[in-house]
Amino acid sequence: MPESMTELAQLVVVVSAGQSRNPEKRDLEKAVADRAAALDGVKVIKIPHLYDLAPKGDSFRLLQGIDADIVFLSWLYDRAAHWVLDRNGVRGQVGEVELKVDSDEDEEESEEEEEKIERVILSQPRPERTIYSLDFRSSQRSEDFVEEIDRILSEGSQARTPLTLEMLERYEQPTNDTFVGAESSAPASDDSLAMLFGTQSLASVDEHPSRRWYPVIDFSRCTNCMECIDFCLFGVYGVDSVDTILVEQADNCRKGCPACSRVCPQNAIIFPQHKTPAIAGAPVDSGGLKIDLSKLFGAPEQEEDSAEVAARERDEQLILAGRDAVGKEESLVEQRLSEKATLQKPANDDLDGLLDELDSLDL
Amino acid sequence: MSQLVFMMGEYEAHFPTDRMYAKNHMWASSIADGFRFGLSAYAVRLLQDVYFLDMDIEPGMQVVEKKEIGAIESKKAESSLYCPTKGSVAAINDSLLDDPTAINLDKYGEGWMFELRCDDSDLLSPEAYVKHLRRAWNVAQATIKGQANA
Repeated sequence: MPESMTELAQLVVVVSAGQSRNPEKRDLEKAVADRAAALDGVKVIKIPHLYDLAPKGDSFRLLQGIDADIVFLSWLYDRAAHWVLDRNGVRGQVGEVELKVDSDEDEEESEEEEEKIERVILSQPRPERTIYSLDFRSSQRSEDFVEEIDRILSEGSQARTPLTLEMLERYEQPTNDTFVGAESSAPASDDSLAMLFGTQSLASVDEHPSRRWYPVIDFSRCTNCMECIDFCLFGVYGVDSVDTILVEQADNCRKGCPACSRVCPQNAIIFPQHKTPAIAGAPVDSGGLKIDLSKLFGAPEQEEDSAEVAARERDEQLILAGRDAVGKEESLVEQRLSEKATLQKPANDDLDGLLDELDSLDL
Repeated sequence: MSQLVFMMGEYEAHFPTDRMYAKNHMWASSIADGFRFGLSAYAVRLLQDVYFLDMDIEPGMQVVEKKEIGAIESKKAESSLYCPTKGSVAAINDSLLDDPTAINLDKYGEGWMFELRCDDSDLLSPEAYVKHLRRAWNVAQATIKGQANA
């Protein structure tokens, strides 16, 4: 089939609607979708709120079939969106975007610190194509988003894999054995394929998901330390065939409970709908090991540390589920931390870096 | 339907007398072994158009007064929602999660949010609630002005 290699677009823009019926938000989504669809080389797909999507629903089934670069717009932090997609088989490199929520200029990455840590992503690299996540909260002006999409479009246009008709056919009739979506019982129909885009540049997936609540792992931060699987007593976590942690039974998670994210030593666990930005996937301070000196300067003692909050939240959920509270004893975090403190490692220890930084502060 | 009126500036907020009220501006109408809760006219007036409602509770959960149970976003405000009294959750109005407009269109009927198996020890009579509103209204005006001038 010669048409199967037909190039449909350079870039796929996905607009994921928010949960809110706020007309201003809906108008922004629509304006961005319409204006992006008018750009040359761009196809736009509208889907419901990313976090609520069913793992085997139509939206993920469609997105899994696309190997082209994607610009993904949603009402979630970019990290949260990227790793929800990753968990659902829509994988790629993290695209650098310029339009961000509160983008601060002095973003210094301390590369040397980063390299010492064995992140999961280093041993399990993602496909070459790029996924650029944009947060709708970063601007109220649709022009800003369209400008950014235009910038991305012109950025890497030579090296880019275009969207082809063949990819969309995979959605209609999945044949690859890595496909984990719905059974391919529904025969491919030319009608539905034509309906998806036809001569248009804009298509919508008609799916009506209900609210969900589950953790998302950022594998660019995760070190596979297994604290989360030890901590969660609801069977949310599991490991894959090569013993890498994964969110196995997402819907076992207890609505509103973010406790495992508090015990994660690398801030790798995201609850995209939590109201605390650090838990919802706000950018993690990349300035290496910053020391909080507020107590030195007279800040009042916090009532609970995060391990205590996590243990309390877990107990609340255990009781709600009709089980017995376990308190903090069950937590391995404390044990591990004290082990780390007693086991004096010679070089390259976190503590060295910490002390170096303290010295350089010249107190 | 018999009701009490409280003036919020020029706006007449109505409170049916066939039910009780909670201090955090929810109405509570009696059901078998508990109460059904929704937002009072006072709360809805402050919020105006409700765009989004989220509930962190599920039927069967034990809840206590002031436990955070959800969140609401409207034209005028964003807020967490807190439990009005101690009890166990009997039902959630799921249809509001998809479309919360019933809170504006029919706040004392279809706009109900959840049901608790609970007693009335933390609840107020309509008269006591309106009395409570006189104090609350002064605080609310100060809060709104404070935030608007910030």
